[in-house]
Amino acid sequence: MSVLARLRKIPFWSWVWFILGVLYFILPLYATLDFSLRMQRDTLGFRSYEKAFADPQFIKTFTYSITLAIATIIASIILIVPTAYWIRLRLPEARRIVEFITLLPFVIPAIILVFGLIRVYSAPFKIPFTDVVLLQSLTTFKFGTNILVVAGYMVLGLPYMYRSVDTGMRTVDVRTLTEAAQSLGANWLTIIVRVILPNLRAALLSGALLTFAIVVGEVVLASFLGVPAFGPYLFLLGQHRAYEPAALSFVTFLLTWVAMGIIQLVTGGQGQAAGAH
Amino acid sequence: MAFLEINNISKSFGKVEVVKDFKLQVERGEFVSFLGPSGCGKTTTLRIVAGFEPPSSGRIVVNGEDITNKPPNQRDVGMVFQAYALFPNMTVAGNIGFGLQVAKKSSAEIKKRVAEMLELIHMSDFGGRYPYQLSGGQQQRVALARALALSPQVLLLDEPLSALDAKIRVALRSEIRSIQRKLGITAVYVTHDQEEALSLSDRVVVMHNGEIEQVGTPFEIYNFPQTAFVANFVGTLNAVSAEVIDPASHTLRVEGMNIQAAQGLDGKQRGDKVMLAIRPERLSFESEGKKANLLDCTIENITFLGSIVRVQVLIGDSRLDMDTFNNPFLELPKIGDKVKITCSREAVLILNH
Ligand SMILES: Nc1ncnc2c1ncn2[C@@H]1O[C@H](COP(=O)(O)OP(=O)(O)OP(=O)(O)O)[C@@H](O)[C@H]1O
Ligand SMILES: [Mg+2]
Repeated sequence: MSVLARLRKIPFWSWVWFILGVLYFILPLYATLDFSLRMQRDTLGFRSYEKAFADPQFIKTFTYSITLAIATIIASIILIVPTAYWIRLRLPEARRIVEFITLLPFVIPAIILVFGLIRVYSAPFKIPFTDVVLLQSLTTFKFGTNILVVAGYMVLGLPYMYRSVDTGMRTVDVRTLTEAAQSLGANWLTIIVRVILPNLRAALLSGALLTFAIVVGEVVLASFLGVPAFGPYLFLLGQHRAYEPAALSFVTFLLTWVAMGIIQLVTGGQGQAAGAH
Repeated sequence: MAFLEINNISKSFGKVEVVKDFKLQVERGEFVSFLGPSGCGKTTTLRIVAGFEPPSSGRIVVNGEDITNKPPNQRDVGMVFQAYALFPNMTVAGNIGFGLQVAKKSSAEIKKRVAEMLELIHMSDFGGRYPYQLSGGQQQRVALARALALSPQVLLLDEPLSALDAKIRVALRSEIRSIQRKLGITAVYVTHDQEEALSLSDRVVVMHNGEIEQVGTPFEIYNFPQTAFVANFVGTLNAVSAEVIDPASHTLRVEGMNIQAAQGLDGKQRGDKVMLAIRPERLSFESEGKKANLLDCTIENITFLGSIVRVQVLIGDSRLDMDTFNNPFLELPKIGDKVKITCSREAVLILNH
């Protein structure tokens, strides 16, 4: 069947809803783009983009956020992959409670998370009933604060990361694969490195990209912990300037879309492969 | 001493005992099947042999060595799974060579062995393909080759054919058996398909509710089932209740008619109730007083099944199935006819419980 013939088979109302949906997403984006291109009166141009990119604060906050995002992704993978793996393998009964925990960030606003972090970690941690300090107050030095921010972002990214990893593990049936590898003499390290991780590539990538998108745009956590991140920068910029924030928003949008495209490319390829049975 | 010994294995999940005092001795090179209905503990027993589950009690011994406490990756036991479980990220050759790589064999040796294995499963041209590019039957053959590449002491197969369609199932089943014979490997095969178990195995272990009902050759299991469960589960069967008339002459009474068994009635007394079993193919229409037992009956139904014709008859209140070969030159009686059917004394089985 030709593509055209296939398209014709789609019912009329499906088309209507589809087009409405596309307009809903595209129009604001188009408006932002259009606005960002009109910094100079009566001509379309990239002036606002040039100005935005030229701001040293932009480079600084953007690289900082990207670094945070990468740290968050690595830490999340190290925490979540073994956890999800162990639950699939040995603790299926713990699954529901862990799933519940991973959904909490959807229910509890980030503002509560950040105040909790500040309350707990702004005082030095002592062994109870003594004055022996186990852990310095994390909010008082840069590296400590960075740890808090990354930990907070891990929580925010948890629903996405856990879900994609867990789904990935279900689709490849890690349990049976693990047993097959074991019966062929493989130890845990070999199994994880050569069997589990390679088969989770698509899942890890999609989890990582979603986490990336969250971290780069996040405002609340970053501003309350006072770190020079991209989210608060964009927010501030929005209060003083008109065109540059539009330009940067559009760039962020574009980045997210490129990320989605990469997910589609990687997982879509696999989906086709699986469908070939 | 047997090659694989499963000594008094029990396994409980929580309070439920799913395998109860399982005892089996498997000789070197033997092909043994576990046959039983869903949930009877076949997989659990197999997984205990593989080392994926620890037994609650009992020992597993292979070739004189107690492996009960060894982890699965040190047991030298190959496993084939129902869902194939090929590594999706590796090619066919990569899958087959995985165990050899883990064992740190030289790459020349791995290459040679993989080629041998591909030859064995008649898939020499498929080494570079990925699992998703293969049919189910091909995937399972690769899984078999992968398990055999390391020449394990024991090969375990858990319903390896049940995800395949009927034709491939039959073809692959004889292929598995011929490969097993060629390599002389000791194999334990789990299935709930009696035809598979009977056609493949040197011996069949019939399981029920976590217990062994009967162990024997396919011939023994089919022709001399010792319990009602085995008789019912393996093949079709007519079970009727009977009353002992004369223990000395092995005479029983069924629906008011006397019937004689070849099997002894040790320990039974006149008036005891027992269960009799007769296979449908052992019954036939009366012919010139050849056989010992003659039963009056009424034809209730006749079903044409191709090479055989299944006739349902009523004897008193009991319904019996009778299979006769389809013979185009022989006229069958009509429904409602009163006829005599007969069977030999040997065909009358007395079930233990
Ligand atoms: N990990 C487990 N936890 C709790 N119960 C289990 C577990 N594994 C198996 N069981 C129970 O043990 C019993 C036997 O299961 P098993 O898988 O051995 O059956 P089976 O004979 O292989 O059946 P099938 O033909 O359906 O594969 C079942 O009642 C099952 O519910
Ligand atoms: Mg099973």
